[in-house]
Order: sequence, then structure tokens, then C-alpha cells
Amino acid sequence: MSSTEQGTSSAAPAEPTTAPESAAAPEVPESFYYVHGKDKVVHKVSAGALQHSALIHGMISNLGYTEEQAKANPFPFENIDGDILQMVVDWCNQHKGKPTPPEDTNLPKQKEKLFDLVLAVNYLEIKELLTYCCKQVAMMVKGKSPEEIREIWMIPTDAEDEAAEKEAKKRAGKEAAGETAAAAGDAK
Amino acid sequence: MPISLLKFPTDLLREVFKLCDPFELYKLSKCSKRTQRFIMLGGTKNWKIYYTGGNSMIILVDCWYYNFMGTNNPEEHFETHHYGSIHLMHIECPNGNAVDLFVHLIDTFGIRFVKSFETMSDKFDNVSKVAQVFVDKNMEIVQFEIRNFDEVQDVANFMPIMKQMNITKRFSCHQKFPPNFQHQWIKYPKEIDIGESFWFTIDQLLNCTCVEIKLDKSSLNNHDLNVFLQKWKKTGEFPNLRSLKVRSENIDNQSPILEMIPPIVDVKNQRVSALIYNDFYIRMIDAVRVTKDDGTGGRLRVDVGDWPELNFLIANPADEDDNW
Repeated sequence: MSSTEQGTSSAAPAEPTTAPESAAAPEVPESFYYVHGKDKVVHKVSAGALQHSALIHGMISNLGYTEEQAKANPFPFENIDGDILQMVVDWCNQHKGKPTPPEDTNLPKQKEKLFDLVLAVNYLEIKELLTYCCKQVAMMVKGKSPEEIREIWMIPTDAEDEAAEKEAKKRAGKEAAGETAAAAGDAK
Repeated sequence: MPISLLKFPTDLLREVFKLCDPFELYKLSKCSKRTQRFIMLGGTKNWKIYYTGGNSMIILVDCWYYNFMGTNNPEEHFETHHYGSIHLMHIECPNGNAVDLFVHLIDTFGIRFVKSFETMSDKFDNVSKVAQVFVDKNMEIVQFEIRNFDEVQDVANFMPIMKQMNITKRFSCHQKFPPNFQHQWIKYPKEIDIGESFWFTIDQLLNCTCVEIKLDKSSLNNHDLNVFLQKWKKTGEFPNLRSLKVRSENIDNQSPILEMIPPIVDVKNQRVSALIYNDFYIRMIDAVRVTKDDGTGGRLRVDVGDWPELNFLIANPADEDDNW
């Protein structure tokens, strides 16, 4: 895999952030992991930032990778667009080791990306960010009329739903007929 | 920028709908048959609704009140107003009729709980129809109050439907009943408060599972109340009971109740105030201590004269407060 190391962490290498500790406590170097999306662009992210994602946290918790091993084995998220993964990584970095506030002003503002962002955040199991995103989706229809809600959330009419259902049934029927014919051909 | 919401997986739709208020979900239900089904993902089945008659239906969600006001003026539909913790939206009133509006809302949201059902300002026919809906849909009614029925016979006619309703917390009725009225309880709520209770027999009292019982204009006499209290003294009897108040002209000073001839008071002016189940306060003064076989204490006071009345309180000592 040809990977271009970039993203928040690699563009501006993150210094390990350490919580204030007593003078006697030895400093533990922060570990980093690497993730990439559909665009194969690799993002370097600290374990602390990745803790927001229950999915990734579960994957890395017992790996014990060295820096080299982690770099050589980036986590692939082929179902997530590169720019969406970048937004998620940025959010995780901004909220590393911090309690998340009730209203998050760092939430990505691009409405056109919201749909993909919600799906990605849901997949990566980032609970707080998911709540913020869903709140933003819900707020889109605040005070709107049913006609406006239908437009904003692209809700098909009953006629469109019925047509889509008919089409799906037709397609399923064709597929079933094709499978039966193929099975008959195999039997011969 | 629009987003194709219905392409979200169900768990995500649930998250979004939980963050929508009842007005938005109602409007969403009007978008298509599919959205009508989906809105219940927002937890609407657990909402609580009030029925008090008229075209105003209140739904309680997380301490906020959402008033759906039926109107036949299409120009007002979906208009919203906000007054403190109360939010109001005008909606179409199906068939211009309050009962149909109520049924429309419980069907739209799949609501299973009625916070309060009051026969306050409604016709008897409407109340009967709504009660029948509760029975047919097996809905839980937290509180039910009968009042303002015009005819005595209406109350008597209504009680067989009431008997089938699943009332869980409180039933109260301060209406007159016909002299020959009789009633059999299938299930008792936690509290009953009956203003004209001559028909409430000692057998019913002996089988009553309530926490709080208030019987006014009762026909119970000293003998009945003695039988009741003797039964209470036995271990394991009336485990739920915390308060009994009986007003009856048949309470007198002619025979004993728990071996005491009324009036039964303790002149040491003992005051007791008790919080029952963190729900309601009962206060008593000059009550006599009585004890169950298992050691549980109760307070009893019986007055005779112009206002014969028995008051009985069983409170957890930790909930008692003598300094009120």
C-alpha cells in the first residue's frame, strides 16, 4: 500500500500530551497508531485521541505494537471517505483527554458532509460525537413544516415509496428466476 | 443542504428521533406512511398523555408539556407557541371531534400510558368512548378522576367500564351514586378516594390492596372497622396499606374498635407527619399507637359526634416527622 502520511498528527506532529503528574512519576511516552480511509491517506493519531472511538480502542487495547509495527499496519477504514476520516481524526485530537462539553463548537459545520459523517461516527462508535451529529441532524427540521421536512430530509412520497417497492419486488423476482434457471442448468 | 435521512440505519434513526421534540415527530409522521411508522423509534410509546376533554391534548415528555390543540382552521395547522414549560401546536382535528383527535394521537405515537384521565368538561358519551379505547388497547391509566357527570345514573353506567380499565395509581370520584348502586373491583389502584362510598362494603375493604384509602359518606360501622383492624394486626395482612380515612355516620361510641370505645385519641397531643412512599404527606394529631403482631406500629384516631371519622396511619418510623 502506498501511503502518504498526513493528517493532523503527521502534518503537525503531536507532542505527547501528559497530564500533570507528581515529580516522582516517570513520564510514559504516548503511543501512536495509524488509520486510513477510502483515499488511503494515512493519519497518525495518538492512542489518547483514539480512545473516543470504542471500535478502534477495542482493536488497539491489546496489540502492544511498537511505533514501527503500528506504522506498518495502519487500520483500514475503506468505507469512510478520506475527508470524513480527517474530520473525525481532527475532532478526536481536539477532544483528547478532555471532557466533552454539552454544546460542541468544534463540530464539523459542513452540512453537505453530515450524512457521511454520521455514518462514519456511528461505525467508529464515537458516542459523544454521534450525539452531537444527531443533534445537528435533528435541529435541521426544528420549526419546519411537513413539506419543508420532506425536502430537508429527502423523504420520498408514498407514491415514490410504492414505486420503489414494486421495483425491488420485480428485481427480486428476476433474480430468483435467474437463480432457478441457473440451478436447473447445473442439474442438467 | 438536504440529507437522505431514511437511508440511515435504524439505530441512527432512533438516535435522531430521540432528539426531536413531539411536534417535529408529529410533522414527520405527516410526510409519508413510512415516516408514520418510523417515528415510534423516538421512544414515543413511553410518552404519557392527558385526557381532560375538549380539543386540547397534552403529552408529557421528560417534564415538558406538549399541547396538541385541534383546530379546523387549516391556516393554523402546525403553528407553534411556547409558554414556559408548555409548548403548543395547532393540528388538524379529525372529524372535528375530541375523541377522534385523542385516538389519532395515541395511534400516531403508539402511546401506552395515560398520565391523567379526568371527566372534567366532557360529554358522558365521549368519556365512555375514550374509556373503551383504553380498555381495548389495554392502556395504563396512572390517575383517573370522575367528576362533573350531569346524571347520577351516568356514573353508575360508567363504572362497569371503569372496572375494566388498568388504573395503576389513583382513582377518585366525588359524584353521587344511585341508592341501589353496587360495584365489584377487579383490581385496585394504589390510592382510592371516593366521595360517596356507601356502596364500598366491608368485604371490599378487607380485600383492598391500596396504599391509601379515603372513603367519605361511608356505610361502615364500628364493627366493620374493628374487623378490618383486627385483620390488619395479623402478620402479613395489608402489606401495602399506609393510610385509611373513613368518614361514616355509622361510627359511634356504642361499641369498641380494637378494644377501645370511641372517641379514640391520645390527649398527649402527639403529632405525626409521615411521607408515604416519597409521594404524599399524611398528618395526624392526638393519635393512639397500635401495634401489629409483627411489631409494626400504626397510629389510630377515631372521632365521633358531628363528623364521625376514623384515621389510621402506618408509616415507616424513618419517614415520620413530629416537628411540623
